[in-house]
Amino acid sequence: MTDLWETLSALAQDMLIAAALLLPLLGLGFVLLRGFRPLPLVWALLWRFRWANLMFVVLIAVSTGMGIGLITQERGLRVGSAQAAEKFDLVVAAPGSELTLMLASVFLQPSAVPLLDGAAYDRIASHPRVEIAAPIAFGDSFDGAPVVGTIAEFVTYLTDDQIEGRLFARTGEAVVGAAIDLQLGDHFAPAHGEGEEAEHDAHDEFEIEVVGRMARSGSPWDHAILIPVETVWEVHGLANGHPFEDGDKIGPPFDPALFPGTPAVIVRATDMSGAYALRSALTEAGETMAFFPGTVLASLYRVMGDVRQAMQIMSIVTQALVAVSVLLGLFILSRLFQRQLAMLRALGAPRRFVMAVVWGYGATLMAAGTALGLLFGFGAAAVLSRIVTLRTDILVSASITWAEINLALGFLAVTSILSLIPVLVVLTRPVVQGLRQ
Amino acid sequence: MSLPLHITDLSVVAGARTLLRVPSLSLPAGSLIGVRGPSGAGKSTLLYALSGLLAVKGTVRWGETDLAQLSAERRTAFRATHMGLIFQDYQLFEELSPRANACLAALFLKPGDRAQIEARAADWLDRLGVAQGSRSVASFSGGERQRVAVSRALATDPAILLADEPTASLDRPAADRLIEDLVALVRGSGKTLIAVSHDLHLLDRLDRVLTIQDGQLTDDTPVSAA
Repeated sequence: MTDLWETLSALAQDMLIAAALLLPLLGLGFVLLRGFRPLPLVWALLWRFRWANLMFVVLIAVSTGMGIGLITQERGLRVGSAQAAEKFDLVVAAPGSELTLMLASVFLQPSAVPLLDGAAYDRIASHPRVEIAAPIAFGDSFDGAPVVGTIAEFVTYLTDDQIEGRLFARTGEAVVGAAIDLQLGDHFAPAHGEGEEAEHDAHDEFEIEVVGRMARSGSPWDHAILIPVETVWEVHGLANGHPFEDGDKIGPPFDPALFPGTPAVIVRATDMSGAYALRSALTEAGETMAFFPGTVLASLYRVMGDVRQAMQIMSIVTQALVAVSVLLGLFILSRLFQRQLAMLRALGAPRRFVMAVVWGYGATLMAAGTALGLLFGFGAAAVLSRIVTLRTDILVSASITWAEINLALGFLAVTSILSLIPVLVVLTRPVVQGLRQ
Repeated sequence: MSLPLHITDLSVVAGARTLLRVPSLSLPAGSLIGVRGPSGAGKSTLLYALSGLLAVKGTVRWGETDLAQLSAERRTAFRATHMGLIFQDYQLFEELSPRANACLAALFLKPGDRAQIEARAADWLDRLGVAQGSRSVASFSGGERQRVAVSRALATDPAILLADEPTASLDRPAADRLIEDLVALVRGSGKTLIAVSHDLHLLDRLDRVLTIQDGQLTDDTPVSAA
């Protein structure tokens, strides 16, 4: 059986789970409604207590939607951050916190980190299994956007050569991210530092021209300005990595003696096994630290996984509380229409018909609340995604998957069964007592 | 179908208290019977016993069917097909149209009976002068509502009509009109009408009036002799 299950596609498995979760609702509906037409009376009850019913539906929708919104958001952030980091095979930096280095080099979050010197960079760049060794020099900004010094080869790799205009070819030129509000041909002077502490006129004498624009990547690099690493060094009054006689040359190789230092080097290995070999080789010496951003993210996700589990439990507890309060509400409402249910029995309606009316009423509330909750959850996730994308530049896309649909259907399945409780309580009351109420 | 009633040693007991005791009573099919008596005497209890809403001891035989021998569900099924009930406070679904209220039985009876029930309900509403728009009965007067309730009771073409204080919530003109309509519709149709009422205008139009006091049938008088 397990083997058969494993042979099914993920979609087929999800659909079968959804069908299994719908089964109690459909089964109960079939058993109770078969041969009857209770809908006019269900509608009458829904209309009679419309404000209370609306409140129940909103309560269910909000609790379901919040749970779904948070879970989809967490997943969207996870997927978005993984996609944002996928171009960064291996990061090499001075020993320190991998997380801090990853946030600084991959997600461009401002951070003061020690520099790698020219000898260290040379060791990395000259390794036979290194295809690209891109210094990443950050710390300056323009209009809130980080200005990052690197090499043209890395820009080509990062964008898959999807550049409007051209790559920078000399110092004083820049390629901007898709979200940067600068046009080709515009000039700007970088500020020293980032955020509120940025000194806006520190590098006024340096004018940089925008010569290219990267295609949108859904990563923080959409909001970055890339310039030759030599420009970063020059604006800070440092050597530019090349001997004087090299003239305006930019890019590797660099002269180790004239290499001012870089916070991190992004390395692309010749192949996958090479990446692992490089990580070992560049970490063993103790002077440098090499790590896979994907591995650091995976560790982070493990921590987030606990949070996700906590969120799921909280969401289920919230939904359970709402379900209990709605069922209590149904108990109260069922007492209010007990007289008319007794009248139905007096007129000759079978027990199953009365059950169909009360259960149909409860199930309609639950189903409407759950469906609205899915929509609300999707809406909330979309809004949250937009906010997170705007704040982090990590493209977070909200999408409701079968997991959320099945969570909602699970809630519906359980509550549709629990809706039978007020029905059974109603039916235990003597008809005559109901008529005399 | 016409169903005579034969009661033998009927008693309704609640704990140690006997609410109603009727040693013997026979009503021919097609009778129009009134039941009167002081409040709490057991009039409604008699109606509930005759309708099978209460479990009873003794015999309550409608035609060949002894309700006392039937399970609650079988009694319910008997009510659905053989009885029409009219309540003092109409017991309508306020949100529904007069026609939807009158067709209530079509919602739970056999699909094959639905068309007939709907046709009869429309016919009774017409004959009782109730407008059949889509407007809900919430805006109807008491008299109009009770006529909808009567149409509902008659829609299944029952052999027995049981009415509990049908005119008590109506003003005099509305009550008189309902009495006229009800008696005119039932008399000669072969249906048996048993109406619990204090309304002399109604009781005077029936064939016999039973008097209940302290749970005992104390009097059974033809109306012409009352």
